[in-house]
Amino acid sequence: MNFLSQLRGELRKLFGRRRTYMGYVVFLAMEAIILFVFKLPRSQRSMRELIETNGLGFDNYYSSLTVTYWIMGFSMFLLGSIYFALVAGDIVAKESEDGNLRLVLARPVSRLRILLLKYAAVSIYTVSFVLFVGITGYAMAVAALGWDGGLFVWNYKMKVFAVFGSWGDGMGRIALAAVGIGISMITLSSIAFMFSCFKMKPAAATIVALSILFVDLVLQEFPFFKPYEQYFVTWRMSNWVYLLEMNISWAKLAGSYAFLFGLNATLFLIGFTAFRLRDFKT
Amino acid sequence: MLSVTGLCKSFGGKPALLDVSFHVESGEIHGLLGHNGAGKSTTLGIILGMVEPDRGEALVGGISVQKDHSAALRQVGAIFESPAFYEYLSGWENLKILSGYSGPFDPKAARDVVERVGLGHRIDDKVEHYSHGMRQRLALAQSLLPEPKVLLLDEPTDGLDPEGIKWFRDFILDLRKERGMTVLFNSHLLAEVEQMCDRVTILREGRLVHRTDLKSLQHEAPIYEVDLEPWEGACDFFKLNGVSVISPGRISLPPELEPAILVAALVGSGVRVSSFAPVRRSLEDLYLEITERHSKDQALPFIPVA
Repeated sequence: MNFLSQLRGELRKLFGRRRTYMGYVVFLAMEAIILFVFKLPRSQRSMRELIETNGLGFDNYYSSLTVTYWIMGFSMFLLGSIYFALVAGDIVAKESEDGNLRLVLARPVSRLRILLLKYAAVSIYTVSFVLFVGITGYAMAVAALGWDGGLFVWNYKMKVFAVFGSWGDGMGRIALAAVGIGISMITLSSIAFMFSCFKMKPAAATIVALSILFVDLVLQEFPFFKPYEQYFVTWRMSNWVYLLEMNISWAKLAGSYAFLFGLNATLFLIGFTAFRLRDFKT
Repeated sequence: MLSVTGLCKSFGGKPALLDVSFHVESGEIHGLLGHNGAGKSTTLGIILGMVEPDRGEALVGGISVQKDHSAALRQVGAIFESPAFYEYLSGWENLKILSGYSGPFDPKAARDVVERVGLGHRIDDKVEHYSHGMRQRLALAQSLLPEPKVLLLDEPTDGLDPEGIKWFRDFILDLRKERGMTVLFNSHLLAEVEQMCDRVTILREGRLVHRTDLKSLQHEAPIYEVDLEPWEGACDFFKLNGVSVISPGRISLPPELEPAILVAALVGSGVRVSSFAPVRRSLEDLYLEITERHSKDQALPFIPVA
């Protein structure tokens, strides 16, 4: 009970800050741009080609659900990661830098609990942000294209191709995928969170976390790293797309999410150890 | 109520505390003095569990902070110099969040404390709009939620105006009177410490160099500030009569010698006495005397921690 009320306080701190909302505003703007471009004739031609080449009806699959998939799937990794790293990189380091932590550490609360509260708050932020992007992206797409239509999924890198003809099936899968992305993205937040626990500036924690993400992404593109792709964090984080396969391979998904959960736990433990060993002079 | 035993701490091989031990009785206001870097904040940090000592421990109400951090700190409230609140939240939200780390938030108790520190009319404003004085009042309010037995004050009056300092002093003295609160007070404002504290501990370069009861200062025989001419002639006279010269123009008298008799004798021997006034040794005099004495010593050796 007390943990929940403390978590409420932690969320109040997190969502009381203006910079927490920066990502929300940027994504709303980006969603509007994506939709605008989707409506342009040349974009529509290209989409028509892609859909019809696969023997599908453009009118049914050029839909709000398909656009939502594109918005979430392709923007979250590159743009969303910036905001996850920013917020998670701040969560301990900023309070330490500003001196707020002294007032917290002077309380009868263990450092483990302080970090658990912050980690829970960051995880809630991450999942809620992904859901926000999914819901607003879909709402905008509905405003532009109407609510009806199926879902067309195509991901070359992860070798996923799927079509859901009815709105109901498509909606169910896209909602499931949004939760999957949210859980995957917690790993990125965990990386930034771990660095935030060290004695470093919040900006440094954010930059180091993003650097790791981008190095991981770049290395993955090298042909001779291909046999080892399952060891890359970003590859595992992309596995949410398997939730959109026609027949979901739960074993494959369980393997990937177990990898990510294990990694998250390890990152948390490293962060906690660093935080536990730190001296905070008054 | 509060004690530290054999505290040793070094940062990056540089000693910050060297075998510091002292205790604070229940209901006592105890001053912790020292120059910048003397180890005062490190000592407070160890008592609050923010700094891990290399050796030694801090006990609050008999409970070791190092062994049972939560139980020990449940009895403690703390105020820091320039307390950093969540600026973008209201004073009330800050209180709610911070005291929530100690247990369930009690709005009635919080309201009482807020009224008592005189923040009732501004408690719903964002902290970013608070003056320094208001922040210190908020800091005081948060330190009193929930009711602590020990207050640790780390330079709490720094940056306050004279009215603010007086208000703060009176508040702490009232708290002690009403609740028998134990207070450990770290400040550079020696006059302030002298007015508030029962005893003081002086640190220098991480070592405890002096501990005294401030009442003993008040009971000390006064020293005299004198303006005499010729000074050399007067000094010869002093030597003969057992008068100690502390510094040019400052003397102390043996207990059996009446000041009036000394003045009459000086005048009678041809010394012109322009002024002869008793001054009581202040905490500042004592502090400067002690720190000067220790600064003349050789550099203190560092005892490495086993």
